[in-house]
Amino acid sequence: MSIKLRAVRLKLWFGTSVVLTAAVLSGRGEVTRDYALDHPAPGSIRFTWIYGSIASATNRDPRIQVQGYNEDTYLMRENLAIHWEGPFTYLLFGNDRALLIDTGATPESKYYPLRDTVDSLIKRWCKVRGKTDVPLTVVLTSAEDIAQNQAYAQFAGRPNTTLAPLALAEAKKFFGLSDTWPTGTATLDLGGRVVTVLPTPGTHKDGLSFYDPYTAFLFSGDFIFPGRILIANDKDYLASVNRLQGFVAQQPVKWIMGGHLEMTNLPGVDYPRRTTFKPTERLLQLEPATIDEVAKYAASTMGQSEIAVRSDFILMNRVGPGARALTRPPDLPPVPATPAIRPRP
Amino acid sequence: MVAGAMLATHLAVAASAASGGRIDFPTDHPAPGTFPQKWIHGSPSLYDNKDPILQVHWYNEHTAILRENKAYNYEGCFIYLIFGNDKVILWDQGSTALRNIWPLRDLIDEVVAEWCKRNGREDIELVVTNTHLHGDHYSGWNQFVDRPNTTLVGLTHEERMAFFGFSHYPEQRVEYDLGGRKLLIWGSPGHEDSELAFYDPYTQLLCTADMFYRGRCYIGNWAKWIASMERLVKFADAFPISHLVNCHIEIAANGDDYPRASTYQPNEPPMQMNVAELRRTYEFAKKVTAPGIYFTGDVRLYDEVRSAITTEENPYVY
Repeated sequence: MSIKLRAVRLKLWFGTSVVLTAAVLSGRGEVTRDYALDHPAPGSIRFTWIYGSIASATNRDPRIQVQGYNEDTYLMRENLAIHWEGPFTYLLFGNDRALLIDTGATPESKYYPLRDTVDSLIKRWCKVRGKTDVPLTVVLTSAEDIAQNQAYAQFAGRPNTTLAPLALAEAKKFFGLSDTWPTGTATLDLGGRVVTVLPTPGTHKDGLSFYDPYTAFLFSGDFIFPGRILIANDKDYLASVNRLQGFVAQQPVKWIMGGHLEMTNLPGVDYPRRTTFKPTERLLQLEPATIDEVAKYAASTMGQSEIAVRSDFILMNRVGPGARALTRPPDLPPVPATPAIRPRP
Repeated sequence: MVAGAMLATHLAVAASAASGGRIDFPTDHPAPGTFPQKWIHGSPSLYDNKDPILQVHWYNEHTAILRENKAYNYEGCFIYLIFGNDKVILWDQGSTALRNIWPLRDLIDEVVAEWCKRNGREDIELVVTNTHLHGDHYSGWNQFVDRPNTTLVGLTHEERMAFFGFSHYPEQRVEYDLGGRKLLIWGSPGHEDSELAFYDPYTQLLCTADMFYRGRCYIGNWAKWIASMERLVKFADAFPISHLVNCHIEIAANGDDYPRASTYQPNEPPMQMNVAELRRTYEFAKKVTAPGIYFTGDVRLYDEVRSAITTEENPYVY
């Protein structure tokens, strides 16, 4: 027997949880939720992400930090002591399907047990929902991003699991974007929770972003995130950002949830590559207005070898990942200066 | 009986120390020594790294070379412990300050105790000093401030000059006597303004610290560095050198750069270098006229370029 819950009427997500648990305990079987809200689903990020440690070998944080944003949305971070990229991955549930967005920076399950973690989350979620299992789809914001595709193979052979193909042509076919890439969009129906798939090539030729109307989150991988955005093709990048502006104008976006975090809590100051101790990180979530600022600087750096340092991100065009801006834009507030290299006499 | 037994033990210890007498550190030939085939070099997952906090390698029975575990700090510095009859000198204290997460002092205590036991000593004075004043070389200094029988050389240029008796840094060469083993020490600024090079006539090892090593020689002041290189080359003309030793490895055996802050370097070349490499680098450097990053074939010169900059390419460009 199926129980329809009008989640729209429930003010607090833990209230929902209590009702759902009660439903299971009373033996009334499978629970179905209505994900059509007229506002973003409640949830909060009132915690500090694990941020590495002074000496990684002594780190005893969890290998993967898991935070339930709400009963159907899980945010995960890889421990920086396992890989300095410390990527973020996301697990969403609908009535009929779970969706894992990205797979982190480490392939070995003994170091980075992403599949085991997802299995546990799915098992617990199914218990609450009165289900025996739920199918899982694994997608990547880019199949070529080595900081987000590494644990993909952990899910190969997992029962009841669909993996989005790695090759771009196959992926387009999988999502139904073969004829409309990159201007079209596609959808992934998780069962009442319909995620929009947006081609966003620019940092990768196969870049994808995912919009979840339930949380009003835009999952953007390394296309837009609080860190060094490394443009791989500036024409594609600007076109994708402009398309995203158009999309966001039509949809409520609460936060942009990127796949990485490299900015400190000082405006325009980042942690250099391979930093494994980041105690003063910026918040992960970006406001949707950030897309407009990214668009402005994607346009102004077009065709140039340039690093645009902004408060919440650093846009890097036609430079290597280890390039550093030598000056700070005058419109950003001053921060303690790093010692300058003495000019040659 | 008891008193007699104690006296006998005491005499035995004295006899053992006296049996070798004072250790002889001859300088008419290089005392043999070895380097490990492979140093500890980090791991794919630092969280799962089970190597010791530092690898202790006895180059010979009176000379220990230690390498920092890259899972504690990516710098992976080399640290030198050189024993004489009266003193043991510790060149550098690594990149991590806190004794509870990186107990350098306890490890040094073990190494010193091991040497003392081998050589029939109760204890030996420890002198704590630095090749130069950068945080990855002095972070553990503070762990020694309350250690008994220990002399700490201060962490300012002035204190260093006063301790070693420099009046004309960097050209002046001073002698520092560890008790039958006299180190030669002189200035080699350019990477850092208080850097010292040292030479041990017993092993004929020349330590070039951070100004010349297989990796990125970060040169903050090119004029001072090239003058220091010239001093090293001239020294090598005049003195026999078994190996050049130093403080980092940042290059793969095939010459590839291990980018800054790499924590897994499975394909490292040897740390030790030779005089030919020093000369080649000096000849290469003499032709450099502008700041930039140069690969000499042996090392990379970061000529007045910020250390956080890497030369990696964006693999995703299309």
